[in-house]
Amino acid sequence: MRSKLFVLVMLVTLVLSACGGAAPTEKAPAAAVTEAPATVTEAPAAATEVPAAATEAPAEATEAPAAEAVELTLGSWRVDDVEAWDAILTAFKAEHPNITINFDPTNPPDYNATLRTQLETGTAPDLFFVRSFATGLELFEEGYVASLADLPGLKESFPAGALAPWSTAEGEPFAVPIAAVSHGIYYNQDIFDANGIAVPQTWEELMAVAQTLQDAGVIPFANGTKDAWDINEVVMMALIPNNIGGIEGRMAYLNGERCFNDADMVAAYTQIQNLAPYLPDDYTATSYYDSQQLFVQGVAAMMFDGSWSISAFEKDAPEFNWSVFAVPPAEGKDQYISFHMDAAIGMNPATKNAEAARTFLEWLESEAFAEAFGNGVPGFFPVSNNVPTLTNPVANEFLSFNNNAAGTDIRFVWEKLLDSPEGAPSTYTVMNDGVIAVLAGEQTPQEAADALQEALASWYEPAQNCK
Amino acid sequence: MAQRIKKFYQEQGIWILFILPALLVYLAFMAAPLFDSMRLSFYTGKGYTPTEFVGFQNYIDLFTNPIWRERFLGALKNTAIFFAIHMTVQNSLGLFFANLLSAEFKGRNFFRTVIFAPATLSVLVTGFLWTLILNPHWGAINQTLKAIGLDTWAKPWLGDKNLALPTISLTSVWQWVGMPTVLFLAGLLGISDEILEAARVDGASNWHIFWKIKLPLIKPVIGVVAILTFVDNFNAFDVIYAMAGAKGEPGYSTDLLATFFYRTGIAGEHPIGIPNMGMGAAIATITFVILMTGVLLWLYSSRANEDVA
Repeated sequence: MRSKLFVLVMLVTLVLSACGGAAPTEKAPAAAVTEAPATVTEAPAAATEVPAAATEAPAEATEAPAAEAVELTLGSWRVDDVEAWDAILTAFKAEHPNITINFDPTNPPDYNATLRTQLETGTAPDLFFVRSFATGLELFEEGYVASLADLPGLKESFPAGALAPWSTAEGEPFAVPIAAVSHGIYYNQDIFDANGIAVPQTWEELMAVAQTLQDAGVIPFANGTKDAWDINEVVMMALIPNNIGGIEGRMAYLNGERCFNDADMVAAYTQIQNLAPYLPDDYTATSYYDSQQLFVQGVAAMMFDGSWSISAFEKDAPEFNWSVFAVPPAEGKDQYISFHMDAAIGMNPATKNAEAARTFLEWLESEAFAEAFGNGVPGFFPVSNNVPTLTNPVANEFLSFNNNAAGTDIRFVWEKLLDSPEGAPSTYTVMNDGVIAVLAGEQTPQEAADALQEALASWYEPAQNCK
Repeated sequence: MAQRIKKFYQEQGIWILFILPALLVYLAFMAAPLFDSMRLSFYTGKGYTPTEFVGFQNYIDLFTNPIWRERFLGALKNTAIFFAIHMTVQNSLGLFFANLLSAEFKGRNFFRTVIFAPATLSVLVTGFLWTLILNPHWGAINQTLKAIGLDTWAKPWLGDKNLALPTISLTSVWQWVGMPTVLFLAGLLGISDEILEAARVDGASNWHIFWKIKLPLIKPVIGVVAILTFVDNFNAFDVIYAMAGAKGEPGYSTDLLATFFYRTGIAGEHPIGIPNMGMGAAIATITFVILMTGVLLWLYSSRANEDVA
């Protein structure tokens, strides 16, 4: 009975939120239809002008008096960033007074399913955040995301690596990338100083640091496994690039030139094993939030975490100095950074205001957006070619990793490996379970890597024929 | 003619009119969705409108594909344990409390309220509170155990595969023990004083009175409590979701049929989050069949008992 009530409440909220979204001025649809041809002819002209955001503004300005006021909705999974997005969208409105965009986020775990329902029932927002790779591509292939092949300036404004997660195999883009997240180890500078510890440059040094801290009665790493996902995404997938040699290494796995249980993959699981003695005593019952609190309270000296946590840590305002360092590679290996392409914005092909939506998508290419976004949501990094210097020191520290590293790469399983067919094991889950089993001593690193290879070999062709 | 219609209404047909509104509501809002869900279990496809007909494939997969089977049997086993703990601990405690509360003593109403109070709170609230109490770093339980020197007893309650399900079951027992208490109490208060008095006059001890007189007389209530516990537990979702998450952490050790269904049919697996509605419907249908079988068995046996009586 209670669960039925729960579903009912969910349905009601869905319906209500859909109604809330679809309340533009009544005249808007008609205006958009008559307006469309005029703006289409304008598009090619804009293409040549795009790199300079300033020249784009006057072009819009001349259009402004003719255009009716348009209201758009932007769907997102970033419920935490409502204020920041309101500021970003206000900055957009300052340049385009006739276009109002409302930020309408959904709780992250529900986002994919909710968006899909909205798209299938015709109640989806005009613009929405698109997940990378398979999840986004699937929506595009089913016709729920508009092609952006003809969006002016898109290919000039972003590096190919940033566009790839939101492009088809043939290179047709369907969303404008807006954000990447980085991964590192947050550390308590006061505890480091008190114990005469310098930032470690190699994995071996990191282990020595952890031992020193433990001897001094401090929990070395705050991480735990109660929520399961965090040990996988912010620890394991941050360790992998160093061990396998960044994107080139990952491509070799994806092409079947390497097996998923080769020495490098075993080395990554071995580093997980190395961490086990330095986690909190009851790490199995320590949630992601508990970990952050252990760090913020100064009980634990370090924490593997993502750049998105900068604002969470700042909000808790620790009474000590803190910063972040890159996950160090093993002695003799090169430094790679887990710099994950996280979010892009796409357009609903069914929107009644495609022109205004495209104007917004073009604005996402500009430096004005990069600045408003990078500083408005510290820890999420704009990925266009011209990113300004950020004001947040920790965010800048994260960005500096990229310059000092041999390369950056996205999280290991995101590309191709998440596309397992229904009824086949999820690569993400297999890796997650393996990491937890290795920490608990239930599996050796070799066994965990073998399980990964075996799971992939059940459906992923390159893994079946790997050398 | 009119005479006959009148007669028809008076004699047999009239009940149809009375039942019709309720029947329509029931058909539209209960039966139709239920059968539609069963129909859905024969389909597969992404999102909320599975289109590809696959016959019994979802059911076959659930029982034969090792990946589905492991999760399904695990969830079934955990649900059975969850039910067993409620059945033994919650309902015995309920009977115990009801027996105490049926006696006259000062402050009886106070204790009645106290025992029933947790049942009026939201499961998400109590789940959250208990998660805090059980927290290994700041929680009251482990702090207390350590303070009195029982450090070895301070376990990671929600992080240990062997402890998590019993721990969560017991917090759920704590919350819902008021329900069987109230039902048993009503049953006990319904027993005529004359019978009890006669027993005392005959020299029966309290112990005897409880086992030989009270218990047999509230047997129908025990049946009702048992079937309510059965239905509630096999549908249980919220307490696991609040305390262990939809994946039944740690390592699926607290995964119940309903969380398995939610993950498969509504939420999808992290990080993709696209549900498999067809398979979800198949799990829901199997859960329904289990519940139906249980309820029918109960109805049958209680009828049989009535006939004997």
